Amino acid sequence: MAVKVLILEDNPVARSFLCRVVRESFSDTIAITEAGDLETARAQISLAGGASGLHGVDPFKLIMVDLELPDGNGMELLAELGQYPATKIVTTLYSDDDHLFPALQCGADGYLLKEDRFEVLVEELQKIVRGQPPLSPAIARRLLTHFRHGGRADGSSQAPESGFTTPQEFATTSSPVPIGKVPDHERLTPRESEVLTYLSKGFTIKEIASLMGIKWFTVNDHIKSIYKKLNVSSRAEAAVLATKQGLV
Amino acid sequence: MPPPPAPPAARGAGTHTDNTLESGWVDQAVGRRTRPRSPVDRARGLLLLGLLGALLVALWLRLLAAEPHLPLTWQAAPGGGVELAASNDPALRHAIGWQLQALVPSDGRPVPARAVLPQRSTRWIVDDAERRQQDDLRSAIARAVHQPQVTLQFHNGQQVTVAPQPRGLAGLGAMCWLLSALALALYLAAAVVLLAEPGLPAVLYALLALSQCVNLLLIAAESLAGPGPVDALVRLDLPLRLLADAVAAAALVHVNLVYPHRPDPGIRWALVAWALALGGLAAALLWPVPGLWWWAQGLALVYGLAAALALRRTGGFGSPLAALLQRLVLAGTFTLGLLSLAVATASREGLAQHLVATVGSVVWYVFFAALLMLGPFLSRSRQVLREFAMLAGVATVASSLDLLFVALFALSPLASLVLSLAVSGVVYAVARPWILGQLAGSGALSAERMFDSLYRVARELEQAPEQAGRQLAGLLREVFDPLEVARTPRVVPRIQVAADGSTLVVPIPELPGPGPAAPTGAIVLRFARRGRRLFTLEDQRLAERMIEQLRRAVAYDRAVEHGRTEERTRIAQDLHDDIGARLLTLMYKAPNSEIEEYIRHTLQDLKTLTRGLAASNHRLSHAAAEWKADITQRLNATGCDLHWSFSADRDLTLTVVQWSGLTRVLRELVNNIITHAQATQVEIHAHFDRGRLTLTVSDDGRGREPQAWSHGLGLGGVRKRVKLLGGQVQWVEREQRGIRCEVTVGLSSERG
Repeated sequence: MAVKVLILEDNPVARSFLCRVVRESFSDTIAITEAGDLETARAQISLAGGASGLHGVDPFKLIMVDLELPDGNGMELLAELGQYPATKIVTTLYSDDDHLFPALQCGADGYLLKEDRFEVLVEELQKIVRGQPPLSPAIARRLLTHFRHGGRADGSSQAPESGFTTPQEFATTSSPVPIGKVPDHERLTPRESEVLTYLSKGFTIKEIASLMGIKWFTVNDHIKSIYKKLNVSSRAEAAVLATKQGLV
Repeated sequence: MPPPPAPPAARGAGTHTDNTLESGWVDQAVGRRTRPRSPVDRARGLLLLGLLGALLVALWLRLLAAEPHLPLTWQAAPGGGVELAASNDPALRHAIGWQLQALVPSDGRPVPARAVLPQRSTRWIVDDAERRQQDDLRSAIARAVHQPQVTLQFHNGQQVTVAPQPRGLAGLGAMCWLLSALALALYLAAAVVLLAEPGLPAVLYALLALSQCVNLLLIAAESLAGPGPVDALVRLDLPLRLLADAVAAAALVHVNLVYPHRPDPGIRWALVAWALALGGLAAALLWPVPGLWWWAQGLALVYGLAAALALRRTGGFGSPLAALLQRLVLAGTFTLGLLSLAVATASREGLAQHLVATVGSVVWYVFFAALLMLGPFLSRSRQVLREFAMLAGVATVASSLDLLFVALFALSPLASLVLSLAVSGVVYAVARPWILGQLAGSGALSAERMFDSLYRVARELEQAPEQAGRQLAGLLREVFDPLEVARTPRVVPRIQVAADGSTLVVPIPELPGPGPAAPTGAIVLRFARRGRRLFTLEDQRLAERMIEQLRRAVAYDRAVEHGRTEERTRIAQDLHDDIGARLLTLMYKAPNSEIEEYIRHTLQDLKTLTRGLAASNHRLSHAAAEWKADITQRLNATGCDLHWSFSADRDLTLTVVQWSGLTRVLRELVNNIITHAQATQVEIHAHFDRGRLTLTVSDDGRGREPQAWSHGLGLGGVRKRVKLLGGQVQWVEREQRGIRCEVTVGLSSERG
């Protein structure tokens, strides 16, 4: 059975280019569905079993989403597909953290920069699918700030970096959830923090591995775990926000 | 002179002690925790004392109003007699202008009319015999008006009989009311001082003020129209006035011995002063001495000079208050001396009945009362009060001079008046800056320079809000030129003048906008203009306005910066979205890889440009991390290894121009290596030391003889950009293989 791929991209030239990248990246038979806007993409996804993907007969395995679309932002779709069991990749021209970080928070598993060379894109795509997502220094910095403040990336809360809090501070905290302990998804392990710190300084995965005395794939696992925590913490944050606003 | 009250707001402001400042005066200025008196207590006390004073004054006025008098006024006639000047009794109206011979009360003992003004107090009569005469006359008239009827005998043989009647409150006259009001105001000032800072100086000031209240009330009684002195006062008037003057003189010397605070209060001198004043008074009353007026005036002048001398002991450096008080005391003494001289001269020339002689002394007492009221509130008094005191002083001078000119030079009254007014005007012009020099004006800084400083500080504050305290202290130093400036972490609610005007406390304001929180606390300034003048309410308002302006300037700068950022972001967005998408399409459609690569570089340049526009600050360390990640990825894609090192003696924020310039220079150099060098190893060292960034990019490629390279778009671009950044670039051959490129750029931390 062919692997189903959805490519959401409004520029037809770029779309066919991405199709070539996808075909080049995998040896399996590929069935590519193309969509030029959010509406078409949503229709295609519901044809394939709906946004939850749980009851889908044959869900997409890979979804590539452009951020700038004629009828909205690709991030909307990513947010809707929070539970969808596919690898979701953002393809964009924006390489700065201001654009990419929210996309990662919405549950993207990685990002591709459209202006990269064909070979680079193929390699990067393969890496993401294999579970080696990219992480630029700028985004690593953002992640550090995000987790330092206990999952609230606004930077206004002053939670201690160590995650250790004294009872007095709990008494004064304005956190909506009465927590006796910062939830795991809002905290990085010391190793993960270390990896992020190195990444934010521009070290490559190989360099980090040798600096930390671990295997490169272990570094990679940390990065994957960070991705996951970011997504989970963002969703938890959204849920808290929704509860507060009476949406749920 | 009087002790100033502590500003109420300064008391009890400190809720904790801070030990970061060793100098006690800051603490003292910001607030001691002595005598925790609640303002409510103080207000209640003031209300009670005020009511008591008002009651006393009301009783006094009531007493005056109930006293019978003759409904007429008389004046000295040209021939030496007394003529009827005015009357509102219809029976007397036709007699106006007639010379009065005697008053005959119903008991039949006639009172001869003499050429003295019967209302006049005996205190200011120079000649002893004349004083006794006047005393007798006053008693006779007092006796007469208490009879049911008084007959006026005129020189032309006519007789008119009138009935003495009480004046009534409405008949007291504006002068009496005004003087009573002034006395009450002075009394209230004393009450405020006494309640605000109880202590010996306050008590002495209260004594001083009360004695003058008595004087003013007695003058109010003297000012009543129509013959009919208050019976009880006829004999008591002189002793009471002398007592008031003696107490005032002694208290004045004493208070200036103990205030402003000094280590050695001179108790002995104070005792001598009190003993001399009260002893002299007792002696004068018990054993009447010849020349009473001379003794009284002489002693008063000596006491005035002694008070000024007492202040001199602390005058000069570091105590603008003492210097100012000394000037006020000297001004009061000088005018008193001038007035005494004038009255004495006039008396010798036989001008005793001259109206000015009476008015002059009254004006001097008003002047003295005004000075007294001004004293404790020097640093917070209103302009009006100060001007009032000045005018009262000048009026004393004017009346004294008027009298002197008439007596000494036999000038006509009109010429004398004009001349004395002119001289007084000059005195006013000279004295005003002399007295107010230590109070008003902030001439230390021209308005232009102040604005300059203000906006410079605003700009610096905007960039470094954490420096707010230091910047503000600098600005205040420029404006007020104080002797000492200190910071205290204590939070002060508002700008206030403390410690009798020697200190100004300015809280560090919270400036609008985001950014690191400005420090809290206050700046304490001490001794304005190198200790030559006091801080006043005007200074407080000036500081308030300055801080308001500062706040506005910072807010304005922030708004401008915000607008610029917004605009840049919008332009960047448009560029990126439109041109970026087109370039991308173009790149995908490129006929060959060379053009594709070219477009890719263009696209990357565009992205760098737009990102530089959109983001406002790039830290050098962050930029280096991104350069490394980017170059690593690109070199790895071509199978080339990167050896990267970065070191910096400090981090700094790159301007947009610096950031995009360096990013593009590095990218171009790496592009060249990828495209032309066929290298396997690339070394990049970035080293930032003492404001200079050195980038060394070396490869082991096949490039040789860089001098012979054609300066295509790539290398030309590098040269151009490095030149734009004010740096140098050179390419040299490496010993084994390849090329080393060295870029040196000076990076200052100024913002673009």
